[in-house]
Amino acid sequence: MKITFPHMGNVYIAAKFLLDGLGIDYVIPPLNNKEALEIGTLYSPEEICLPFKIMLGNYIQSIRQGADTVILTGSCGPCRFGEYGELQMKLLNKIGHNLDFIVFDMPSDIGFDELKRRIKKITDASPKKKHEKYMALMNAYKIITLIDDLEAKAHKLAGYEINKGDCKKILNECKKELLRTNNPKRAIEILKEYHIKMDNVQIEKNRNPLKVAIIGEIYTIIEPFSNLYIEDKLMELGVHSKRTLSPSWWFYNTVILSPFGLTAKKIRKSAKDYLPYGVGGHGQECIGESILAHEEGFDGAIQIFPLGCMPEIVSKSILPSVSRDKNFPILSLVVDEMTGEAGYQTRLEAFIDLLERRRNHVLSRS
Amino acid sequence: MYCLGVDVGSVSTDIVVIDENNNVIESLYLRTKGRPIKAILEGFKIIKEKVESKDIYAAGTTGSGRNIAAFLIGGDVVKNEITAHAVAALSIDKDVRTIIEIGGQDSKIITLNDGIITDFAMNTVCAAGTGSFLDRQAERLEIAIEEFGDYALRSENPVRIAGRCAVFAESDMIHKQQLGFSVEDIVGGLCEALVRNYLNNVGKGKEIKEKVFFQGGVAANKGMKRAFEKALNIEVVVPEHYNMMGAIGAAILARETVEKAGRTYFKGFEIAEENYVTASFECNGCPNMCEVAVLKCDNRIIGYFGDRCGKYSNKMAV
Repeated sequence: MKITFPHMGNVYIAAKFLLDGLGIDYVIPPLNNKEALEIGTLYSPEEICLPFKIMLGNYIQSIRQGADTVILTGSCGPCRFGEYGELQMKLLNKIGHNLDFIVFDMPSDIGFDELKRRIKKITDASPKKKHEKYMALMNAYKIITLIDDLEAKAHKLAGYEINKGDCKKILNECKKELLRTNNPKRAIEILKEYHIKMDNVQIEKNRNPLKVAIIGEIYTIIEPFSNLYIEDKLMELGVHSKRTLSPSWWFYNTVILSPFGLTAKKIRKSAKDYLPYGVGGHGQECIGESILAHEEGFDGAIQIFPLGCMPEIVSKSILPSVSRDKNFPILSLVVDEMTGEAGYQTRLEAFIDLLERRRNHVLSRS
Repeated sequence: MYCLGVDVGSVSTDIVVIDENNNVIESLYLRTKGRPIKAILEGFKIIKEKVESKDIYAAGTTGSGRNIAAFLIGGDVVKNEITAHAVAALSIDKDVRTIIEIGGQDSKIITLNDGIITDFAMNTVCAAGTGSFLDRQAERLEIAIEEFGDYALRSENPVRIAGRCAVFAESDMIHKQQLGFSVEDIVGGLCEALVRNYLNNVGKGKEIKEKVFFQGGVAANKGMKRAFEKALNIEVVVPEHYNMMGAIGAAILARETVEKAGRTYFKGFEIAEENYVTASFECNGCPNMCEVAVLKCDNRIIGYFGDRCGKYSNKMAV
């Protein structure tokens, strides 16, 4: 069994060390690029959302490197993500690739026995002892938390750094170095070293950078290729950005907290004046986060979602009311394989300008 | 002291020189024709005869070609079209609340309050309602684009044209022509369809309040102005330099920047004598495979664009 998995932000780092720890053979698809998207678009239904297309490209690139099994998380929720696994399996089958898909779904949807059977499929392939398998899982969780935290730190400190580009450089170096080792323990050491490096970036504490929250559909905000590297762009513009949704957030809220009905409790509570019901995906969270960002003193929020994303269309139509009521600017960006970078960049720059001018205006009047 | 503003758009390249009171001293409207560098240099040759380089206090660029233009001329400020248009409109009238801007490729709406931008939107998935589309239809109907608006004004019963997107609008329009409707009514209907499309796509969810400014090349079209007034039921103002607003805004912003920085990077109109070329290559340094463009002047590299990691663009000293 040679396992592969689709890209989504830093997930590949955690997945790599999990499989390293389990001693299972794997292929990491090449980091997302134009080619993956082109391949994916060629074989996907036209109207399907962008993540589907990129993921399909990932699989095909991995197949070329010998992968035969795909691990995927599932969802039987009211959004198209629920049918990704089935549809992708059928599409790959149709073009002559017979891949085994192992989809992790909620036990409430597929039952505990089925989930156990699916997990067993993977663990059976591992030659390790039971406690070693457990350790591999714990280490992978530690790693994803550390890398997500490091990234969040970089996005925050970029607004304060004295030497422009320091934070971005440290973050990129860290990711490169992680790929050079196969030892989860060593990976944790590396991450801790880079946390120290990041903490020691020269910063100007008194600077008051613009603060922007990134909200929207989870894949398109986490996977930098799909959002045309918006966080890198914000770092370059010296903006302090924040994104609540991350792989570790997802794992903690969806896997650990959901059996107790506690997923994203605070965020969902904040959304209740505008959207009291779950609409699938993270539509409700999107509204809640925009309100929280306003309460936390952020200057604005940017919503990103793939074209045709149902939950996010619902929240997009609600966001103007939030924006008006709270006097809080929100920019919505829609991405798909047709998105042109020039127009995207113009909107982003104009939005940052708008926030800056607003702030100067408010300050000059007070 | 004068300030220079350059707006390199998809269809036109506008160059303006303004004085301290934002009066337009010189203005040039050139067709970009897909060659922004050539258009700028040509413009500089013309302006050089009237204004001396030493009189230029600051220079700014905007439009989709703003980055390359800034490298070329030594821009003090590189601004997006939205901010530039808003700044220019506010320099004319502090009370403007809504700006409708339709250019060659993009259409935008900008809403303002108390002299600051509060919201904006650009056309997203569809390009209908832009200058290039009108240009193409004028050509197909064999009407000079300048007369397009007059045809629309003569229309008594504008035809209803389905304007979801440029391609569908065109095919519906052709269908109406085959049925024998008059050119006037078709042109009039087209203007109304574009306005409908603009209000339903770009202006969706935005409050349109008076005063409304109509800017960009398409504002020359009287038919469009009338169609907007009819649909919105409010007066739409087309400012005097409606097609130069981006360049005027860039010039004003450049002045603000130089006042703070205390120096200008402007290279002078003499660059018009030099030879510039752009080459490109695909970088294979990482899976990103960026298309990198290089701007050269007689084998001397002026700038790199398009690499995401900064491998090339960080190397050069501007």
